[in-house]
Amino acid sequence: MTTLLQVHNLSTYFYTQDGVVKAVDGVSYHVAKGETIALVGESGCGKTVSALSIVRLIPDPPGKVVSGTVQFNGTNLLTLSTEEIRRVRGAKISMIFQEPMTSLNPVLTIGRQISEALELHRNMDRREALRETVRLLELVGIPHADRRTRDYPHHFSGGMRQRVMIAMAISCRPQLIIADEPTTAVDVTIQAQLLELIRNITRDLDTSIILITHNLGIVARYANRVYVMYAGMIVEHGPSMDIYHDPRHPYTLGLLASVPRLDEPRKTRLVPIEGQPPDLIYPPKGCPFHPRCSYVTPSCMEGFKAELMEVAPGHYSMCWIAREPKPWKKTSS
Amino acid sequence: MEKDILIEVKNLTKHFPITSGLFIQKQVAQVKAVDGVTFSIRRGETLGLVGESGCGKTTVGKCILQLHRATSGEVWFEGRDLCRLSDKELRSVRRKLQIIFQDPYESLDPRFTAADIIGEAMRIHDTNHGAAYQERIAELLRIVGLAPYMAERYPHEFSGGQRQRLGVARALALEPSFIVCDEPVSALDVSIQAQMINLLEDLQDRFSISYLFIAHDLSVVRHISDRVAVMYLGKVAEISARDELYRNPLHPYTQALLSAVPIPDPAVEAKRAPIILKGEVPSPINPPSGCVFHPRCPRAFEPCPTVVPALGDAGDGHMVSCLLHPPSWPTGRTPASSGLNAQA
Repeated sequence: MTTLLQVHNLSTYFYTQDGVVKAVDGVSYHVAKGETIALVGESGCGKTVSALSIVRLIPDPPGKVVSGTVQFNGTNLLTLSTEEIRRVRGAKISMIFQEPMTSLNPVLTIGRQISEALELHRNMDRREALRETVRLLELVGIPHADRRTRDYPHHFSGGMRQRVMIAMAISCRPQLIIADEPTTAVDVTIQAQLLELIRNITRDLDTSIILITHNLGIVARYANRVYVMYAGMIVEHGPSMDIYHDPRHPYTLGLLASVPRLDEPRKTRLVPIEGQPPDLIYPPKGCPFHPRCSYVTPSCMEGFKAELMEVAPGHYSMCWIAREPKPWKKTSS
Repeated sequence: MEKDILIEVKNLTKHFPITSGLFIQKQVAQVKAVDGVTFSIRRGETLGLVGESGCGKTTVGKCILQLHRATSGEVWFEGRDLCRLSDKELRSVRRKLQIIFQDPYESLDPRFTAADIIGEAMRIHDTNHGAAYQERIAELLRIVGLAPYMAERYPHEFSGGQRQRLGVARALALEPSFIVCDEPVSALDVSIQAQMINLLEDLQDRFSISYLFIAHDLSVVRHISDRVAVMYLGKVAEISARDELYRNPLHPYTQALLSAVPIPDPAVEAKRAPIILKGEVPSPINPPSGCVFHPRCPRAFEPCPTVVPALGDAGDGHMVSCLLHPPSWPTGRTPASSGLNAQA
């Protein structure tokens, strides 16, 4: 598999009145052609910022990409001019956001919004673009597509709006789609419809996907590889099977233990991760997870290095205890 | 009636009018938010109420508490029908019925301190005074896992999970016997959700409170509930003991909901195929005829668009409202009398 996107040592900080928020702090990840990777973590862990940084959609000020490179098809996106990055956005990399109502223009018809991108990036004339728009809307399963091109975003339900977003995202046959919590705002039955739709369409076009979500079930269903983020860092990554069946970071372990599962006998009690997520202006010294970690040792604060170590082929963890296989059984009581 | 039943909801209906016109408001249609819902909640029990947005689950909760006045139907609590009580009579009952809201950011007054928020009900109902009041607030903060020194803080100084704990402390202040938990964990992060669920369970054991636990996350509902009701478009589709419902869902809607929940294990997911429902939830202004689920139902057959199913007992209190199951056929009409055989 060829690498499509290679993010190396990316750091994005926000300069606020209260101090510097290190939203993303030295993050590296890569996506191969046709692959779906997932960025998982809780709110504020930097998963969205790390993805928006690659297409330079971080509001500046207060945000700033302070270090790193983003190689996409061999070009570093971070050094492109505003005009050049604009040609990448929408055409080669497109986005699906959580709340379609805020990402669609309320005063333009759906048809106009999709065909605009087609005219701009695929050099179609108006008639051609409109015909293609109808085809796209049919593809994502919007009934009476030819009539609905004349409707405005508020005429659509939440699920239908998200279909429009998907049509828009695939309109220029991008090589990479960033899907940021694409189904968090919709109901479970609609969520299943939309995710199957995204999967089928992108499989046909061999599109790569960065799936950003906090839902571990969705990740298990759709992602090939998983990156677990905590406090602006990737604390563990590897193939989905390894992450779920042999987690090598206490945070991943904690996340998996804290969600009830429908396929397992009901537990009498859930095992939560104690404490609160960290304050990113004053992150904890040493390992960012140590105040909430049940395996914490003195060396987690003093000798800690923010480095990922390969614990199994293709499986990396930032936790030094994880170097031994099945480390959790020994220490957990 | 069983003695240990705390709340009994009978044929509850809530229609919201849609009006038109600038000066003379004319009713042009109505939203049938809740349409003939019947269930009961036992003492110390948790009834999970699941369904998609707009199915009326929150409205049911608010109608029980009389925050919405029902269009028709009864809500029995301690031998009285709450729907018939005046606002004045309700006041004393309200101490025992409380609610925890979904959004911990919007349900707390930003200009109140934690102590003001928790103590508001005690001030209104005039229960504790002076030192006893302060002591009770400190005690409540401890009960929900916060520290008494936090009493003078404002909501913005708490994290999301802590704010939701304040909401719980407020609900507990007057020692209620029943709490409506309206999506209490869906706004919280995964790691905090488990803390909250454990807290709610501990409080139930300690104070024997009954919960109506409204949520859309079926795995969370299975964890916390003793019995589960599934709602669709203002009606109860299925209601049963928890394990029975999850092991043996009878209604095609429940089956689809359960299959749509992704399981956090790639090996399990590789073998599962979700039942994908067609279309979207129809408008409650103009619900489909017959069974309200029939336009999306993968197993709909001839009588579904015309016969309205009733909630019938399919055995051991497993109630279902689907024509595939003979107990759901309305009285006077049977699969045979309609010239059809219900397919199992």
